[in-house]
Amino acid sequence: MLSITRLSRSFGDRQAVCSLDLDVAAGERVALRGPNGSGKSTVLRCVAGTLSPSAGAVSVSGHAAETVAGRALVGAALALERSLYLRLTGRDNLVLFGCLRGLPRTQSERAVDAVVDELELDDIAARRAAECSTGMLQQLVFARALVGDPPLLVLDEPTRSLDEAATARLWGALDRRPGRAVLIATHRPSDMDRCGMRVDLPR
Amino acid sequence: MMALVRRDLAIRRSYRLAIVGDLLGGLVSLAIFYFVSRTLRPAEGESLAGAPNYFAYVAVGVAIVTVTASASVLLARSVREEQLTGTLEMLASAPVRAAETALGIAAYPFVAAVLRAAIYVIAADVVFGLGVDHPDWLGFAAVLSAALAVIAAIGVAMAALVLIVQRGEAILAMVAFALGFLGGAYFPRSRLPGVLEALGSITPTRFAFDGGRSALIQGEGWGGDALVLLAMGAVGLPLAIALFSGALAYARRHGTLAQY
Repeated sequence: MLSITRLSRSFGDRQAVCSLDLDVAAGERVALRGPNGSGKSTVLRCVAGTLSPSAGAVSVSGHAAETVAGRALVGAALALERSLYLRLTGRDNLVLFGCLRGLPRTQSERAVDAVVDELELDDIAARRAAECSTGMLQQLVFARALVGDPPLLVLDEPTRSLDEAATARLWGALDRRPGRAVLIATHRPSDMDRCGMRVDLPR
Repeated sequence: MMALVRRDLAIRRSYRLAIVGDLLGGLVSLAIFYFVSRTLRPAEGESLAGAPNYFAYVAVGVAIVTVTASASVLLARSVREEQLTGTLEMLASAPVRAAETALGIAAYPFVAAVLRAAIYVIAADVVFGLGVDHPDWLGFAAVLSAALAVIAAIGVAMAALVLIVQRGEAILAMVAFALGFLGGAYFPRSRLPGVLEALGSITPTRFAFDGGRSALIQGEGWGGDALVLLAMGAVGLPLAIALFSGALAYARRHGTLAQY
């Protein structure tokens, strides 16, 4: 599903990721761990197709991650919880991204309703994103990654701001998708315990 | 693309007071030129494209340049905001082609801008009186519609510039103003020194001003300008989209899609 080959990424003189190799099969969960600044988010952004590798390659089911075909296979919840349109409701945000994933509007609305129902986000989804707390936004960002049911999920510290109940709902949703490949950057031992494989990124 | 248009419409509707403010701002701008027109007389021998007074001449230019400049700056500013908040990175992570993204983010501001330009000119006639005898309103609408693609191309190119240089709003405002100034929004291009007049004669806005004035003031003769605008749009929009696509690739390489 996901193949990372000798991935390196630099920002100016600073090398964020150095020659990383990683394969993630369908149904596999992999946790990326490492101290702050070790390049976890950088790896996820390369997989989500929003950052080009300085060297090496990232492919999703044989498609380069940056291509439209590659991005169609990835549901991303990247680091910033504010990556939602604050003037729109949570639901409108989710429907928008469903449409951007290629779903017709009515199908996107149905997919969003299903995810909102599954994650118990009715109240949060009805509010403007500007009126949501950080934890609420994080739940919306996770829900957005699920809309359209992409085969690879890329989650950057998805439980960082969540309470216990929301964390349980998140893992419940992932458990109900056993065929999905999941790549998670996390510091939480409880998240790592739920992953079959851990990759350490040195600073 | 329609998803992005709906997004912009929903966000815009959430700022209802701003919409009213924009409309009033345009009317105030027209009012200023109306009173200038009543105070000053055109120079001897100046035909002003056959307009009965300076206000009839300048209203077309002011309406078009005011809204297209604000749409350009609005688009550039919103791209910058999306870069800062992280929504641009999420847009870039979606399986959408750069061309669709470019057209999607430009569609609403520029269609709205062209509609506002039409509203301003109608308001100029109703509120202040243009004093023209046989205006061809359909022709004016056709010129504005023909101008849409080329004006949107300018906006998309500006958005691409913002993706690369990040803080470009001031430059963009100047470019938008220059397009109006050189294109003859406020006075005949013949009043400009030689080099600037030559530059002004090839700006896309010039054809929108000339065509709009032909339609409203003379009631005819706007077809040639509309055709030039269509041709410029047919060439300019693909070029601007290619530039935007290149700018997105540049941002991916340099890690500047998100700057939080």
